[in-house]
This record gives sequence, C-alpha cells and structure tokens, in this order.
Amino acid sequence: MEPIVEVHDLHKYFRRGSEQIDVLNGLNLEVAEGEFLALMGPSGSGKTTLLNLIAGLDTPSRGIIRVGDQLISGMSEGKLAAWRTRHVGFVFQFYHLLPVLTAYENVELPLLLLPLSASQRRQQVTTALDLVGLSDRLRHRPGQLSGGQQQRVGIARAIVTDPTLIVADEPTGDLDARSAEEILNLLGALQKSLHKTIVMVTHDPRAAARAARVLHLDKGRLVGETDRQSVVHSP
Amino acid sequence: MPHYLDDWLMAFLDSPWNVIGVALFLFGVVLAYVWAPYLRLIFKSLRRNPLRTMLMSAATMKLVLSIISIWSVLWLLDLVTTERTKDFKAIVTERWQIPSQMPLSYERILQDGAAVKPGDVKPQNIMSWQFYGATLDAKKSRENLIFFFCVDPAKVLPMMEDFRDISDQERADLEDAIRAVQEDKRRIILGRDCLRRINKQVGERISLFSINYLGIDLDDCEIYATLPEGRLTLFGLMHRDRLNNALDAYERKNGKPHPLARKSLNLVWLQIPDTVTYGQLADQIGSSSSFTDPAVKMETASSGIAAFLDAYRDMLWGMRWLLVPAILAVLSLVMATAISISVRERRTEMAVLKVLGFGPTPIMLMVLAEAVLIGTVSGFVSACGTWLVINKVMGGLRFPIAFFPPFRVPLDALWWGPMIGGLTALVGSIVPAWSARSVRVAQVFAKLA
Amino acid sequence: MSILVKILLILVVGFGGLIAVAVALMLLLGCGLTLVLLLQFLGVLRRIPLGYNLRNLFVRWPTTLLTALAFTVVVSLLVMMLAFVNGLFELTQASGQTVNVLVLSDGATEESVSSLGYGDITTLNQYPAIVKDEKGEPLISWEVYLVVNQPIQNAKPGGQQRRFLQVRGLMDPARTGRVHNIALHPGGAWFTQAGVQPLPGSTTGEQAVQVVLGEGIARVLGTDQGKPSLEVGDVFPMAERQWIVVGILQSSGSTFDSEIWAKQQIVGEKFGKPSYSTVVLRTADTDAARRAAQDLSDNFKPAVAAQVETAYYEKLNGTNQSFLYAALAVASVMALGGVLGVMNTMFAAISQRQKDIGVLRILGYARWQILESFFLESLLLALIGGAIGCLLGWMVDGWSASSIISSGSGGGGRSVVFKLVVDSKILLGGLAFSLLMGNIGGLLPALSAMRVRPLESLR
Repeated sequence: MEPIVEVHDLHKYFRRGSEQIDVLNGLNLEVAEGEFLALMGPSGSGKTTLLNLIAGLDTPSRGIIRVGDQLISGMSEGKLAAWRTRHVGFVFQFYHLLPVLTAYENVELPLLLLPLSASQRRQQVTTALDLVGLSDRLRHRPGQLSGGQQQRVGIARAIVTDPTLIVADEPTGDLDARSAEEILNLLGALQKSLHKTIVMVTHDPRAAARAARVLHLDKGRLVGETDRQSVVHSP
Repeated sequence: MPHYLDDWLMAFLDSPWNVIGVALFLFGVVLAYVWAPYLRLIFKSLRRNPLRTMLMSAATMKLVLSIISIWSVLWLLDLVTTERTKDFKAIVTERWQIPSQMPLSYERILQDGAAVKPGDVKPQNIMSWQFYGATLDAKKSRENLIFFFCVDPAKVLPMMEDFRDISDQERADLEDAIRAVQEDKRRIILGRDCLRRINKQVGERISLFSINYLGIDLDDCEIYATLPEGRLTLFGLMHRDRLNNALDAYERKNGKPHPLARKSLNLVWLQIPDTVTYGQLADQIGSSSSFTDPAVKMETASSGIAAFLDAYRDMLWGMRWLLVPAILAVLSLVMATAISISVRERRTEMAVLKVLGFGPTPIMLMVLAEAVLIGTVSGFVSACGTWLVINKVMGGLRFPIAFFPPFRVPLDALWWGPMIGGLTALVGSIVPAWSARSVRVAQVFAKLA
Repeated sequence: MSILVKILLILVVGFGGLIAVAVALMLLLGCGLTLVLLLQFLGVLRRIPLGYNLRNLFVRWPTTLLTALAFTVVVSLLVMMLAFVNGLFELTQASGQTVNVLVLSDGATEESVSSLGYGDITTLNQYPAIVKDEKGEPLISWEVYLVVNQPIQNAKPGGQQRRFLQVRGLMDPARTGRVHNIALHPGGAWFTQAGVQPLPGSTTGEQAVQVVLGEGIARVLGTDQGKPSLEVGDVFPMAERQWIVVGILQSSGSTFDSEIWAKQQIVGEKFGKPSYSTVVLRTADTDAARRAAQDLSDNFKPAVAAQVETAYYEKLNGTNQSFLYAALAVASVMALGGVLGVMNTMFAAISQRQKDIGVLRILGYARWQILESFFLESLLLALIGGAIGCLLGWMVDGWSASSIISSGSGGGGRSVVFKLVVDSKILLGGLAFSLLMGNIGGLLPALSAMRVRPLESLR
C-alpha cells in the first residue's frame, strides 16, 4: 500500500546565537494509511518538532515531507494553513479549546473555513460529538467540562473535517489515569472504525502501547522501532 | 533676595491653593523617602509594560492639555468678571444704546465726577476712549482694516493694566513711543498682529480711510513703534487730538459739523479707590442733570464685561460643567482601564508579595501610587508644554468670544496639570487598587496548579 | 529666545505632521479592513464567528464597560455640541425669506450699525418690484433695530446685573408680520397705532408701551418674574418705563424669536435712534428678489446696501463656523481618550488570548482573519459605547439655549435664543465618529494579534 505520510532526509535546526542546534538529523519515515503510530523519546529528542513538521505547522530546514499526494515541505505559510484545515486534525495536551465558545462552537470552528452550508456543518458537528460521546454537552463551555470531556471535544474538533491525518501531542499528558484510558480507547476506536491515520507523540508507555507501531527518537534520529501489530490484534 | 522674586513668592503664597499644593508636594517627597523600597517596585512595574505606561501618559497629557486650554479661557473670564473692592475701574457709557456714542463734552464733567456740591467726590483719574476704524485703501477692503483707540497718550501707562507686567525694556520702549506720539500727533503705535496683517514695517507712513467716520480720512500717519504683546495686539493707538482736530477741520470746511461730531466719545474709564467712593460717584453721575442727551450709566468694568458675556452664557456653562467634567471622566476611564488590566495581569505577583508578608494596604497603595505617579508626572509635563506652546509659540488661544484677545495660559496652569493628572489617576485607580488589595493568595495559586 | 521658539515650532509642526501622516495611513488601512469586514459579513470571505468576539466582550464586562463608557462620554458630548451648532445654523437658515430684499445704509454690514435718513428714502415705497397686498398697499416693512443694555429685573445679588435686549421699532407691525411671514399666537394682537395703553392698575394715568415679544425672549423675561414665560397682559420694566405685552410672535426658529417689537416712534425717541435702520421689501419671487437687490445696490439714490434677506442671515454664520471648528477640535482631542482606552483594552485582550490565536491559526485560520476578528472587536466596543452616547446626546434635542451669531469679523453680532437640534445626520455622524475612534484604536492591537506565532503561543 502507498504510504500516506512520507518523510525523506528531514533536517531541522535552530540557531541560538552563533550556535546551531540540530533537532532533526536526516530522518526518514513512512506512515501507512490507517496506521496508529506513536513517537517516543526523551525531551529534546525532536519528537514534537517532527510532529509539527508532518502537520505543516513548521517548515523543515532541509528534506522532503509528503502527505497524501501533497508535497508540504515546499508550501508557503498561507497554503499550509489552507491545507491544514482540510487534511490535518490536531489534538493537544492542554486541549486548547476557546474558553468563551461552547463545545459545539469549538468543534464547528474549522468547518467555518470550508465551503459548507449551515445544515451540512450542523450535521458534521453533531456526528463528531456523537462519536466522542458528548452529544449531551453541546451547549457547555470548556470551563463546565472535566478534563477528559474537554479532550473529547478536542478530538471531535480534530475529526470534524474528516482529515487525512490526525496528530496528537501528548493527548493524555494532562489527564488522570481513568480519563487517559477513555481517551486512548476513543483514539483506538476512531483508528479502527473510521480507518483514520493517527500520529501521536507521548512519553506515557501505556499510551504508546495502544499504537500499532512505536518509533523511538533520540537526538534527532530514529533509534528504534517496536512493531506491535500483533499485540493490538491479539484478543 | 531680588525684589521681583520676593514679589513673586508673596503673590504665589497669596493663593491658598498654592500653599496646599506645595504642602502636598513636600508631603509626597517625605513619603517617597520613607517608602523608597516601595517606590523602586512601583518604577519597576511601570517599566514592565512601557507601551501601556506610554499610552496612559499620552492620554493624560493630551487631555490635560485640553482642560488647561479651556480653563485658561474660563480663568481669565472669571478674573475679569470678579468684582474688586479696591483700586478698580468704572466704565461710563451711553445708558441705553449699543454701540455707546456720547458727546466729547461729557469727558470734562466726568473728570469732576459730575460734582456739583461741596463734599462730592472725584475719580482718581479718568481715561476716555474714541474708536476710529479705517482701511489703507479708499476701496475699504476689509483685509487691511485697522481699528484704532484714540486716547490721551499720557493716560496709557497709568491707566492701562495691560502694560503693568511688561519687561523693563518693553516699558522703556513704550515710554519712548508715547513721548514721540505726544511730540508729533501723526505718529501711531500698532499692535504686532495688526502690523503683520497689513504687511507694513515700523517707520512706514500710511494713509487711513475711515469706515465709521465717513469723510474723516487721515494722511501721513507714521508707524512709530509696536505695542508689547498682549490684549491690544490686533489694534492701534492714536493720539486723540488727531481725530478731534480732523473733526473740527471738517466743520470749518463744510460749514456744518460732522454727523458723528456729537457722538465721538465711546467710553470713559474712571479710576476708583474703593466701593464707597464708587457708590457715591454712581449717585452723582446718575442724578446729574448734565447727562440727558444721551443718558449715561456707570458700571464696574467687571459687570460691564459680564453683560457682554451673557450672550455666551450657555456655551460657557457647557464648557465649565459638561466639557471639563466629560474630559475628566474620559481620563479617569482610560486610567481605570489601564490600571485594572495591569492589576489583572499581576495577580500572581501580588499573591507572591502577600506570601512574602506584604499587607493588603501597602499593595493597594502601591497600585494607587503607580497611577498617581503617571498622572502627576504626565500632567506636569503636559502643563509645561501647554504653557510653552500656547503662550510662546501660538501667542495665545484664539477663541472666538466677544472682543477678547488671544487667551494666554496663566502660570497657575503649572499646578493645574499635575493636580488634574494626579486626581483623575487616583479616581481611576481606586477600584482596581481595591481589587488588588483583595487578591486571595490561595485562589491565585489554586488556579496556577 | 526666538531660536528656542523656532526650534519648538519646528518640533511641534514636524511632530504634528508625522502624527497626521500616521493617522491618515491608519485611516486608509482601517477603511480597507472595514471593507474586508463587510465582505466577510456578506459571506464572500470566511471569518471567525462573531459570537467569539461578543462573548469575549461579555466575559470581561468590567473592562468592556469602562472602555465603552469613554466612547459614550465622547460621543454624547460631540452630539450635544453639534446640536448646539446645528441649532444655530438652522436658525440662520430659517431666518429671512428668499423673496425678501433687506435694505441697509451704504457701507453697513449689520443692522445694528445701519442708519437710513428717513426723508430721502421714502421713494422706496414706490419701488416697482414690491408686491402689493389685496388692498393695493406695498408689502414693505420699515424698521429700526436697537440693542439696549438693561438691568435684569430681580437680579440675584452678586450675580449678573445687566443684559442686552434687542428691540425692533416698527411703523406698521401687521405689515411687518406679513413681510416676514410671522403671525401672532392666538389671543394676541399687534400693537395699536398709538403704541401705548393705560397701565393696568395705575392711579396716576401712566401709559404702558405695547410690545409684541418673540417666544424666546418672552421665556427669558418670564424667568425674571418667576414664570415660565411672559403672556399677553404681563408688564415688565425697561428703560424706566412699563411695557405691556399685547402679543407673542410665532417666531420659533428665527432670529425674531429674541426680539421685542414696539412702535418705532416710541423706541426711536426713547433710545436715541430716530431714523430707520432697515427696510425690508417683499418681491414676487426669488429671481425678482435677486434682481431688485442688485438694482437697489447699484442704482438707488441715496446709496444703500441691498441684499436678499436670506443672504444677509447666511453671513451671520461666521461664529457658527468657529463654534463648529471648536467643537470638532475638542471632540478630536477627547477622541484620543477613547482611542487610547480601546488600545489598552485590546492589547490586554490579545495578550490574554494568545492561546486562542495560536489554536485558530493551527486550525487553519489565516493571519488576516485573526486581524479582522480583533479589529471587529474594537469596532464592536466603539459601536456599543457610541450608540449609548448618541442616545444620551439625543436627549438635548429641543432644549433651549442662548448664544450669539455674527459674521465673525470682530464685534457686532446679535444674541439669539434658539433650540438645540439633533437630527439623523448628527446621530450618524456621532456613530461614525465613534467607529472612527474604534478603527484607529483597534488597528495597532489587531496588527499585533496578527503577528502572534502559533507554536510559541501554545508553549
């Protein structure tokens, strides 16, 4: 099968004064369609940078990133923004919902950028909130929801545009064990039932255990890979 | 101590507001010394968000500027309409009609205070005014219109308060010019703005074509000097004999008097020592049989001006009671917005200070002091700037009201500025300061955790 | 000293110029942004939902209120000041008829300094362009206009003691009324041929002078006697005589509202101005009036200054203009308060909502959409404050005030009583002014919001 994400010889460095800091060092990676991939590694290993690059939030210093049939490593900022709306859904560690908007409105936000009628939007939002099990919390503000519920709204917002790719940066990092469990179940279910491609950064081994494949990064390079395909499929 | 400094100090201390202001300032200095460590904190927090501090200070400056401008106008109007009880002037004009036109013969009677019987009082001095308007061309184009006060030059310095505060040099020049006009009545003295408007130089000779005294044109007038800056800057001074001789010559030539010959005296000033004399003089003049055609009235200068200002009553009321309060309100609102934002941003910091043992009151006072500091300093800077720009650069505020010359900003504005700035800042920061006082440590940290 | 002054002048002018250029640029940019906003609301361009801004305004309501209040104060004051000026403009526009020609003595620009010798000028009565009434009498009004200085009745001690009153002496009041299109309120009458009547209640047989009052001056004189207005039959003292009101003019909205009309012979003698100051003739139409004014000015002997009546009153707009400029100057200074207030507020709002901006950007919203959203929020603030300000300002509509109108070239002028007028133009102007303040104040913060880097803001 054609990989949905293809990363070739990816370099990213920052400058701090006269010093150059290499974050990613000639990294190669392929993600298959419908795959649940976890990125692990110590702080500063470059896993979040890699995630941001794949999601089109940042541009590489050198190298090629292809997502679907688009070469995103060469896109301008404006094009990237439009591309993100259609093709990438984000799940953040701290949920990052807009506090003044209701759950419904938060989920609706990305849809407002797409040429959809109001009724189409309503249908997509309710479907997404149904999927995460929050159809009874439409009119609640983030402040009136628990952490787990907020993260579920975040997930609904990530899937509402039916993106090619869902990226999640420590999605359980701010949650208690039970809520984290629920969120991971939800992500797993989405991947399985909707056949979504998910790339997740985490340093929680329990979270990583849900992924089909876990890549380990250190100092900007891939240092190891655990294929858990069998584990996930086993009863 | 030089005598003028001494005079200035005495005049300064005459006003209770000045004394209170100085006292408050000294009190502030003492507080600042006692509270030096707090002060450092206050300065630091002002420097933290220079943009906001700048915005607050810019708003204060601009609004203080406008209040000072308005108050300068009101201040002068109040000053000239405040009745004085000693050494003041009374004005005698035609009783019923505006403009006032009296026969010149009234002057002599007024000089004696219309005294008829022993025991009647006289004014200390009098000065009579005749108005002569003329243009430089026979076509009478308005652009080079000059309005002359025809007076007895000898009365200018003793009677006109306009020249009381001029510099020694200006006084010497004016004395010299007055002597010259007395020697040669064709010489005239013009205000600087007047000279600028007709585009002539000192030393040039001009011919005048009258617009109010038709047929009384005056040739060969030598512009001898300019008047010191002030109220008369748009006008000219002329020897009264020049006009009166021309009126006599008209009668000799045409066989009949000029139509305005019996109406050439426009107003007379009487110098009065006190209110008792004023009352007595008013009685004498009011009951005199000499003033029948037309009848005359005597009033204090201030009440005369007040009558003129009546037409502007509503506007002045609006300026005093709507405009100024509104500007003050806007200023406090801007302050309140800025300070409340700054307090909200620093809730954590205030909580930390409380943990370190700062009491609620010092914290509240710090917020207040921060606002008052910005307000006072900006207000003072603005007041100095306003004073300098309006008085020295613009030559006064040209406000279209009655016959007043451009309004100057009084020296008192230098304390109005910091007072307005400081007080509005204080009012604006009361609520935010109170909320800073009641920051609850536990709540702030709970939110962070 | 003069060097210092020059340097200061250069600084002031230079600084002023810089500010002017900056404001002009900001306005241009602001207009562009407003246009984009419009397109967004028409659905042509996509936008962040309005609810986002509205709710944020609501959530931090104390700041919103304070900021909007500044707008309210500025706008309500602007509306009040404009109502004042507008009332004066309407007054000068409503005074005078386009078909009337006003004749003054040669060289006179205002009635108060005009003096027409009676004997030489009666030929005006036969001037052919004058229209005749149904009895065949020419519609011509002979008037003398006087300003008299008068002690105020029952003046408060320490307060103002005297005021100026405007007296118009007439030969035939009914005819003057017809020429000026002014009627009496029901219950009144024009003064009689004699112009006097016995003073009611007088035992000495004293005669009171009959007068007809404008509504405005009737109110002013009424206040002296503790009534809302003088009525027919009331008596007031002036110049050591008693004057009795026989009629009230329907003069609201014209300069005649502030005048006292009485018999010309009586006031002329009393106040020492026996000749006429003004002659007003009624012609057939506007064109005839223009031609007659020209002809009289050019050819009539003795020389007179004739002009269409409306033109005369328009020239009395000079002070109105100055007041208008003063009002705008004051408003623009105060506007700075509103502008800086909204700037402070929005800068703070943006720094609080860095994360929001980051999320929106990550979700795919473009920089310009962020810019527009925050810009819109400033405009909303301005609109709320401005609308309340307009409502407050509207309350002064119809209030009575007194002021002065003159051609503005020093001295002269006449005091008038008039009504403040708030019209739709002023209200819209107030709102526009408010939006302008929001526009300028909101621009810089919105630009700074646009520059927020999404990844850094979420860290």
